[in-house]
Amino acid sequence: MSSSAGSGHQPSQSRAIPTRTVPISDAAQLPHDYCTTPGGTLFSTTPGGTRIIYDRKFLLDRRNSPMAQTPPCHLPNIPGVTSPGTLIEDSKVEVNNLNNLNNHDRKHAIGDDAQFEMDI
Amino acid sequence: MATASPAGEAKGGIRKWEKEKREEEEEEEEAAVGAWAGEEAASSPWALRAPRKKAQDEDPVEVKLELHPLRNRWALWFFKNDRSRAWQDNLHLVTKFDTVEDFWAMYSHIQLASKLSSGCDYALFKDGIEPMWEDPRNKRGGRWLVSLAKQQRHSELDRLWLETLLCLIGESFEEHSREVCGAVVNIRTKGDKIAVWTREAENQAGVLHIGRVYKERLGLSTKTVIGYQAHADTATKSNSLAKNKFVV
Repeated sequence: MSSSAGSGHQPSQSRAIPTRTVPISDAAQLPHDYCTTPGGTLFSTTPGGTRIIYDRKFLLDRRNSPMAQTPPCHLPNIPGVTSPGTLIEDSKVEVNNLNNLNNHDRKHAIGDDAQFEMDI
Repeated sequence: MATASPAGEAKGGIRKWEKEKREEEEEEEEAAVGAWAGEEAASSPWALRAPRKKAQDEDPVEVKLELHPLRNRWALWFFKNDRSRAWQDNLHLVTKFDTVEDFWAMYSHIQLASKLSSGCDYALFKDGIEPMWEDPRNKRGGRWLVSLAKQQRHSELDRLWLETLLCLIGESFEEHSREVCGAVVNIRTKGDKIAVWTREAENQAGVLHIGRVYKERLGLSTKTVIGYQAHADTATKSNSLAKNKFVV
């Protein structure tokens, strides 16, 4: 690229934005400083900030990762949702519980203390 | 997925987590991990963190990839119908997450939608948006509504709800993803419903794009028609009578 005007000042040169193509066959090969969408679009920073898009297949693949198996911390105890519980109608659970005192200890061990306070 | 055992594990996991956090304050991280070596450590979050830290020196790329950040932080809500209490008192925040892995951890440790009792809902919303019409980011919006037949609870509901969740956290609607507020699944005796909520009912281009992509992702046949209703219309009429502002 040269200036045909030939004057003393140099016009700014236009240049392609440097890019590199990284063939990726597995999520583990992705560079850490990219927002990644294997199988989809690879976005880095966009004007509105960083957009992260994951396609369906990638999301499903991550289901088996070790990190995905770890129970979330600070999950509240909601019987029938985050803990076993015959649930969800409290009155039935309580009546049931009173009629099955033999089960009390076992249930107490796995369940929510508060839920069984009424038995005491 | 059976809830009984994962939920039991979850409780153990929480206790371990808390104990380890206390230890972290007093000791070196590695020492704390050492204390949990053995069988229990295999399922502990710190057990995974220790090798990661070590590996970081050798291969920083692979290490950081274990967690994949989401564009948004999301909050999962659970609603339980108890008429003796105010509507808002029945709404419980279950958890928030902002990585792909934390999403799955959450999903694997809560009850499937199809196993909830009638009258219950799950709602997944962007952090900061409450799952109700009244929220400022919802009140001008509306929802794409998918109504299921009774028998679909067993055959379709969990698949469709998971697909909905993946559409949201994966930001599947291109630039219109920012229009999405959240999604709700209603478990109802007369027929379950799944809806994607968007923030501006008048944004025709955004609403239609989201509707088209969503319908395709759910794998609904071209003959099936889903409708978009403005919350303002739904609020003043009973659900079944609310008119569709758009259909795809």
